[in-house]
Amino acid sequence: MDRRKFLVTSTAAAAALSLPTLAKASGGIDIFGLKSVSGNFASYGKFANQGSEMAVEAAGSVIGKALNYRLLDSEGNAGKAVRKIKEAIEKDNARFFNGATLSSTGLAVGKEVANVGGVFTTPVGADEVTGSECNRSTFRWSTPTFGAVEQTLRPLLELDPSIKSAYTITPQYVFGEALLTNTKNVLADKGVEHVGNSYHSLSEKEFSGYITNAAAAKPDLLVLLNFGGQSSTSLRQAMNFGLKNKMKILVVWSAGLDQYKSLGSDILENVYLGAQYWHEVQNPGNARFVELCRNKYGVNPVYPMAGDYIGTKIIIDAIEKAGSDDPAAVISAMEGMTYEGLTGEETIRAFDHQAIKDYYLLKGKAKSAMSDEDNFVDVISSGKSFPDENASLCKMS
Amino acid sequence: MELFFFQLLNGLGLGVIYFLLSVGLTITFGLLNFVNFAHGAFYMVGAYVTFVIVSLTGNFWLALLIAPLVIGALAIALEQSVVKFSYVLEHKYQILVTLGVALMLQELVIMIWGPIGKNVSPPSSLAGIIEIGDFIYPKYRAFVITFSALIAIVVWWGLEKTKFGALVRAGSENAQMVGLLGVNITRLFSITFGLGGLLAGLAGVLAAPLRGADPFMGVEALGIAFIVVVIGGMGSFLGALVGGLVVGVMQSVMSSVWPEGASLMVYAAMAAVILSRPRGLFGRA
Repeated sequence: MDRRKFLVTSTAAAAALSLPTLAKASGGIDIFGLKSVSGNFASYGKFANQGSEMAVEAAGSVIGKALNYRLLDSEGNAGKAVRKIKEAIEKDNARFFNGATLSSTGLAVGKEVANVGGVFTTPVGADEVTGSECNRSTFRWSTPTFGAVEQTLRPLLELDPSIKSAYTITPQYVFGEALLTNTKNVLADKGVEHVGNSYHSLSEKEFSGYITNAAAAKPDLLVLLNFGGQSSTSLRQAMNFGLKNKMKILVVWSAGLDQYKSLGSDILENVYLGAQYWHEVQNPGNARFVELCRNKYGVNPVYPMAGDYIGTKIIIDAIEKAGSDDPAAVISAMEGMTYEGLTGEETIRAFDHQAIKDYYLLKGKAKSAMSDEDNFVDVISSGKSFPDENASLCKMS
Repeated sequence: MELFFFQLLNGLGLGVIYFLLSVGLTITFGLLNFVNFAHGAFYMVGAYVTFVIVSLTGNFWLALLIAPLVIGALAIALEQSVVKFSYVLEHKYQILVTLGVALMLQELVIMIWGPIGKNVSPPSSLAGIIEIGDFIYPKYRAFVITFSALIAIVVWWGLEKTKFGALVRAGSENAQMVGLLGVNITRLFSITFGLGGLLAGLAGVLAAPLRGADPFMGVEALGIAFIVVVIGGMGSFLGALVGGLVVGVMQSVMSSVWPEGASLMVYAAMAAVILSRPRGLFGRA
């Protein structure tokens, strides 16, 4: 390489390396989206990424500074997610994060972000996020297991007093155990007999054995406490075995529109479903979001889009409220913040950083009753149920 | 006791599905000594072709007829264009090549139909359940068991009683010698690979109404197929049948006996077979 070429190359390399610093120096605010856009949860990550992108694009700027969205691919792996978060913190001085698909990733990332006093919003499900593992930097939008069971099983039992017995199918790990404990509490409280439970592993794909157990117990209600692909497969197989004609079925933690599309109305008809978000709910915040999504992608929003859209928007709103992009000031602004959310007016509790929002009990409709191709369900009821401060395991350090 | 009987019957049903899933893999390995990691992808594409045909025509039986042939043709095309060049390579390179093919097929499916799975309803004549006393069993599953048993007989007859089967078996013993006797061994390999793909596609067609079609179903199917083949023995038709039944019955019965360990016990059975009979129950020495 001659001297001229060397100078050109090294100058270009130096310029490229200094780009992040220059961007920072130009006064932009970077929001990092941690999404599983590759790996086993790529289907979730793709939509989650679109949600965050929409929030940043819609805002454009805040407190006079341009907003930049930067994607970090967690690859559906907690270890890789933590490594990428650390790199972003060290190389790009990253402080604002949203996302995570798995609870394990959310918990691990929350700790890393807390170490540098950053801000992390997440939709992951594990109760620990705003419970025993809570920290100053982590905020959670989704309703935890307590609220999911309270807002689905309890209203269903009140709606149908003929239900006297229930059988549960549960994935055997922390999330499933939490749902099962809350389910048992509600059943006991309502005087409904819990006639049995089948545990299954997180890798289980074949549920006919568990469905046979449930059929043999002859309950009035089958409660599916698994989620994602496992709840779809177990629900489909329960239909195959004709259980819908013999008992009511409740999926406490369904994934919403994308899951309903993959199952179809034949399977969903008359099934009760719990959901964090439903695009047809009428309120100003959701109306704006649905319009945004239809304009940009030509579809109705699904839950991963919604969860990461609102998680990203909360950060932007808090920066505006704080009038500063200092993470400590943003955290303070976020604590107790009330905003127009996707489920109506939502508030972030200061003591555990949990967003107080509605959870929905939905009921599958017959195909002939659907008003459009996404109108799979009716909203039966909705409400907010969260453990109060005395019952919370969160001890904010 | 009654529940145990139900689970046993259910396990037999599962077992024949697993047999169908793995028999193509074991035939491919038996003749070609080729490890095909794209087998699960053929199964997945078979389910998607079923979804397309059923969506367009509403006729599941048409899908049952056409989809396996489409997948068989796809397998032959891939064998001619990519796979045959890796026959002479070590197994680890064959795994890399076929894994690449599987990933491409998976991404292609995501590009065309998106990451969200698709539902395929069973034919209306097979919707509903059979009730015998307290025992309930889906009509469609009963059909799958019967149909798979028929396919097993046809495959056995084809391998054991026809000239093609004799060539396949001879080729699996000594391909070079069969070639020297004037048989077009390249074409035999190609047809056998296509047959393996056709059977995987057929399993995908039958599985679609049971579990829907989604882009990631190939990966989980491949896992089950390899467990069945390892237990039964690589290259053994009988091994695939017995291995499939062992895995299906164990999985189903354990759902009642020790539900949280149902999946674990399948892997434990595989480990036990590897330790006691490294070539599987019916594998050749």
